[in-house]
Amino acid sequence: MLPTLSILLLSLLAGTVLTFLAGKAARWVALGTSMLFLLEVGALLANFTWPGVNASGVPQYGFAESYPWITLPWLHISYTVGADGISLPLILLTAILQLVTVVYSFEETRKPAAWFGLVLLTCLGCFGVFISLDILLFFLFWELVLIPMFFLIGYWGGLNRRYAALKFFVYTHVGSIVMLVALLVTAFYSHAPSFDFAGLYGPAQALGVTTQVFLFAAMLLGFGIKFPIVPFHTWLPDAHVEAPTGGSVLLAGLLLKLGGYGLIRWGLELLPTGLVHDQPLLYAVAFASIIWGSVIALAQRDLKRLVAYSSINHMGIVLLAIAVDSNLGLLAAVLLMFAHGIVSALLFMVAGSVHHTFGSRDIASIHGITPRTPVLSTMVMVGSLASLGLPALISFPAEFGALLATWDRIGYWVLIPLLLLVVTAAFYLWMMQRMLFGPMEGVPEGARDVRWPEALAMSLLVALTVLYGILPGLLTNVIIHSPVYGLP
Amino acid sequence: MSDPISTASFLGLSGALLGVGLFGILTRRNFILLLISIEIAINAAVLNFVYFAAFSSTAASGLNGQAAAVVLVGLAATEIAVGLAIVLALSRLRGSINVAEATSLRL
Amino acid sequence: MFDPYNIFDWAFLVPLLPALAFVFVGLLGPRLKRLEYGGWLAVGFGGAAMALGVTLAAEEMLSPGTYTDQQYTWLSLPGNGSGAFPNGFSLVVGTLVDPISALMLIVVTVVGFLVLLYSIGYMHQDRGLPRYYAELSLFLAAMNGLVLSDNLLEFFLFWELVGVCSYFLIGFYYEKPSAASAAKEAFLVTRVGDILFLLGIFVYFSTYATRGAAGGWAANGFPFVQGNAPYLAGAMGGHSTTLTIAGLLILGGAAGKSAQFPLHVWLPDAMEGPTTVSALIHAATMVAAGVYLLAVASLFLGFTPTDQLAIVAIGGFTSFFAATMALVNPDIKRVIAYSTISQLGYMVLAVGAGFAMVGLYHLFTHAFFKALLFLAAGSVIHAVGTQDLFKMGGLGKPMRITGFAFLVGGLSLSGIFPFAGFWSKDDILSSVYGTLATHPLYWPFFLMALVTVFLTAYYIFRAFFLTFSGSAPRDPGLGHAHEGAWVMTGPLLVLSGLAIVAGLLPFAHGFGSLLPGAGIPPNYGSTDLLLSGASLGLAGLGIGLAYYLWGNGRVFALADSSPAQPVRRLLLRRYYMKDAYDAVGTRGVYGLARGADFVERYMIDGTVHGLERAFAGLSDRLRKIESGVVLDYAAFLVSGLLFLLLFLLVIGPWVASNGGL
Repeated sequence: MLPTLSILLLSLLAGTVLTFLAGKAARWVALGTSMLFLLEVGALLANFTWPGVNASGVPQYGFAESYPWITLPWLHISYTVGADGISLPLILLTAILQLVTVVYSFEETRKPAAWFGLVLLTCLGCFGVFISLDILLFFLFWELVLIPMFFLIGYWGGLNRRYAALKFFVYTHVGSIVMLVALLVTAFYSHAPSFDFAGLYGPAQALGVTTQVFLFAAMLLGFGIKFPIVPFHTWLPDAHVEAPTGGSVLLAGLLLKLGGYGLIRWGLELLPTGLVHDQPLLYAVAFASIIWGSVIALAQRDLKRLVAYSSINHMGIVLLAIAVDSNLGLLAAVLLMFAHGIVSALLFMVAGSVHHTFGSRDIASIHGITPRTPVLSTMVMVGSLASLGLPALISFPAEFGALLATWDRIGYWVLIPLLLLVVTAAFYLWMMQRMLFGPMEGVPEGARDVRWPEALAMSLLVALTVLYGILPGLLTNVIIHSPVYGLP
Repeated sequence: MSDPISTASFLGLSGALLGVGLFGILTRRNFILLLISIEIAINAAVLNFVYFAAFSSTAASGLNGQAAAVVLVGLAATEIAVGLAIVLALSRLRGSINVAEATSLRL
Repeated sequence: MFDPYNIFDWAFLVPLLPALAFVFVGLLGPRLKRLEYGGWLAVGFGGAAMALGVTLAAEEMLSPGTYTDQQYTWLSLPGNGSGAFPNGFSLVVGTLVDPISALMLIVVTVVGFLVLLYSIGYMHQDRGLPRYYAELSLFLAAMNGLVLSDNLLEFFLFWELVGVCSYFLIGFYYEKPSAASAAKEAFLVTRVGDILFLLGIFVYFSTYATRGAAGGWAANGFPFVQGNAPYLAGAMGGHSTTLTIAGLLILGGAAGKSAQFPLHVWLPDAMEGPTTVSALIHAATMVAAGVYLLAVASLFLGFTPTDQLAIVAIGGFTSFFAATMALVNPDIKRVIAYSTISQLGYMVLAVGAGFAMVGLYHLFTHAFFKALLFLAAGSVIHAVGTQDLFKMGGLGKPMRITGFAFLVGGLSLSGIFPFAGFWSKDDILSSVYGTLATHPLYWPFFLMALVTVFLTAYYIFRAFFLTFSGSAPRDPGLGHAHEGAWVMTGPLLVLSGLAIVAGLLPFAHGFGSLLPGAGIPPNYGSTDLLLSGASLGLAGLGIGLAYYLWGNGRVFALADSSPAQPVRRLLLRRYYMKDAYDAVGTRGVYGLARGADFVERYMIDGTVHGLERAFAGLSDRLRKIESGVVLDYAAFLVSGLLFLLLFLLVIGPWVASNGGL
């Protein structure tokens, strides 16, 4: 049996190191690395079989590997990796977003070797998080993601980049620490024999109700800051606005998913009783995020801020889908994370291109750009329509599943997210009305349509948006091979 | 062995020495006087080691105490050597060995 | 299973052909040597879709029945034996041909093809021709998909898609701020309905799924196969409240799409789009989808009496309400748009009273005569370049075909014997009249519908006389009008023919099987004859009044001091409903958003910054302790030692002697 996941990790690591060293050729190395990685992930998906649950009810993982790392009489830490239906879509998302980010920023001129290296390093960290099945390994990768992103914002960012980078770092670091403490307490209170998932699974589920309730709440806070949940969300708009386009893409597309993934993998699977008893809290937080994100987006003038707040809204729906604790809800949560990864990446690229082309992202001062930049405008439309949940585009099946699961569990409370869908539609349509339509205004002379790398990257995302919108089964058939379904 | 001097008086002596040393450390600004005060405080500890070594029940632990006393004396000598080197360097740099003025290590 | 020798299994091509046209025209259209080529491509695909659609309908007439073909599992959730959906479910996308979808197929493909053809002439000067044809083809694909949906979820998918096509086509002239604004308004108002519809789907779904529909439901997800209604009634025993709520939610969805009160405001503004779009989408097909939904729901899912009363009330009131606003409007397209709302109200009324087939009958005839009216109006607008009725006049002589077409459409709309509108409208009135004995609460809405007959005849002939009668246009700057090319007049003549004979089709042998129960009721009696006479008389009265006030180039002006002036202003301002919605939308919701943004920036982020400042200030103070003076450090050292000693020697023993912590 090949150590598949380690090979993937090492190939990505080698590519990242080479990119850092490649100087002027960095972009080609990065492109090659990400294409190779995407191919490898494709092969991973093609060969994936989930071994199911073992005799004692502990879920097993596909491509599982485990090597002891630190062994003390009372503590076993190991390098344990594996994949199942919950992590595989997100691994695919990592590979896709890595490639499109490299393509989009192919003409980056400021320290290109460092730029592409850091982009690859971020994706490496995310990949590591998605495959780790040991608390310490998970935490190492989790923190690894933070560092390249800090530099991406802090060096390539906008005017206020230092403030944003620091805010991002401090916020998410606080979250990480709360998360680490929650994970360690889970391990130690349950007297788990080891730090890996299989060792934790049984003992953690056997923890008392009160302990589980507190631990799950702590995990909600720890993972939730990455989500982000209201009221710990204010780092997100600032980080997005100041981050360079590639940074925003990775931030919205991948980093937010780490929170959702962590909450499912370590929260829901280990502490199911805690989840059930924390449901009122989860609902309150999810509804707050849905309402707040959507309503505030309506008042934004900066395109990136608008998309950032819509991300808060969408991740609120993800949290809601996790909170309802049903098979459909989890399916929808993972699907929606994937969908949001693709769509928000597209929208941040659009915002970045608007900025490159017009020198500003101010919705209130750029009008009627469609005749001048038809390609860019088409991308704005597709991205907005996908984000507001149009059928045949990727978000719809996910949102539909999430809302149906919500309806199934808490009945007419589903009206809250449903009505907010109208507000979501309103801010996107209003943005389109002002920016794309009407007489041309605020468009500098010589503003040209997007350059080919940007157009190519966005077209790839549009194609995926349509593909998975029409054939969501491609993803859902993977997701169901996971512990929450128990289908091998 | 007979016990002509009580434990209390020995501990009182070493306590007094420590007090003198601490008083000196807290009040002297002259670096040399500061070093002397530190020596006095260390001697209080040495005295305790020697005293309790003499009263220990086994020969091995008694030897341990005396060994510690010898090490401490050596340590004190080393400390004086380093300390005097600092005094020399300080007086060369600033022409004063007042420790309250030597604050440039602070950020 | 797919059977290549069964024509009904090829039904999926009807939506697919226009979808291919969308792809080809969208990608290649702008690169073709002449922009019209893209248009002809779309016309070709539309024609093929029409041929197949009409063939399917003919097959359905020959052998009536329900033919389903489920080609693709869209999304499936396997059951894991426990949790929310223990048996799991799968959502299937497939085609279903039954009598009413065959009927709709005729409407959509025929009117769609005629409009595509007409547009070649109407839009020929427009630079955006490829975009227009791509979007129109996409609309046709989605509309055909909607008609052929075999379950509610698939229906909803296409329902949203036609909505977004409508959005793009209303905003076709996007440089005009009013068009961009109208497009947004249309999308948002219908979206409110869509949300309700989606919730309605949820209610039906969980009602079926959790009440143990053993076979069909769990396997197929959301089918509305015939025969669900009795099952639902059985399953719902004692749960009629849930069923009522579901029905009201479906009504909400239909009201959004079919522009029923109070979600009607978007349709008049949707006239910002090209007139051809108004004819196809906002008269014949998409807005009728709401009625189709109600009909399907009433046939296959069933409504409770409360639902029915609500539907009757909305339909009857809307028919009257919209007709009043059409009375005074100076814009030829808006008059027809209000008329559309009003006629959709008739259909909703019929469906609500329990006559789904009669409602669909009117939908069928209305599609032809309303598309005809719009295309005739489009022909006029194309010729004179304005939509203002008071600038037109005397166009009957240079535009004989158009004038004839508008006249036929107007007579049909007014319900004059033997035009198409007469048969279906009369069927609605007599059917509803028949229920009054058992449902006295329907009375006011029946009366509203009856008065509307008079109003309808008046407003459409007011528009007719203002446009075509007289000797010359009132605005001399209009230049000389002339008839359009054959691609424009041809569809007008075909539609005129249909507007005359479509009403008789249900009586034809075979065709009647598409509309079982519509046409002349079996126990047609003297009361019905009297009712027909009354409605004909009201219509004649309306036409006469219109002729008296506006005929022969006359222009009737209301005196400024007239007590009717406030009423006229109220009608022109559309009962101030749009203003109210704007106020709620912009000042209300947007104001709320601004307030929330303020809270976000200054209170939530302000708290964060406050914390930051507090910590920074505290550490600024604390670092003063680090004086750099060795003696201070020594003092800390000693006080630390003393504290430890104190703790070990005094506090510790004291705590221990008092029984510990």
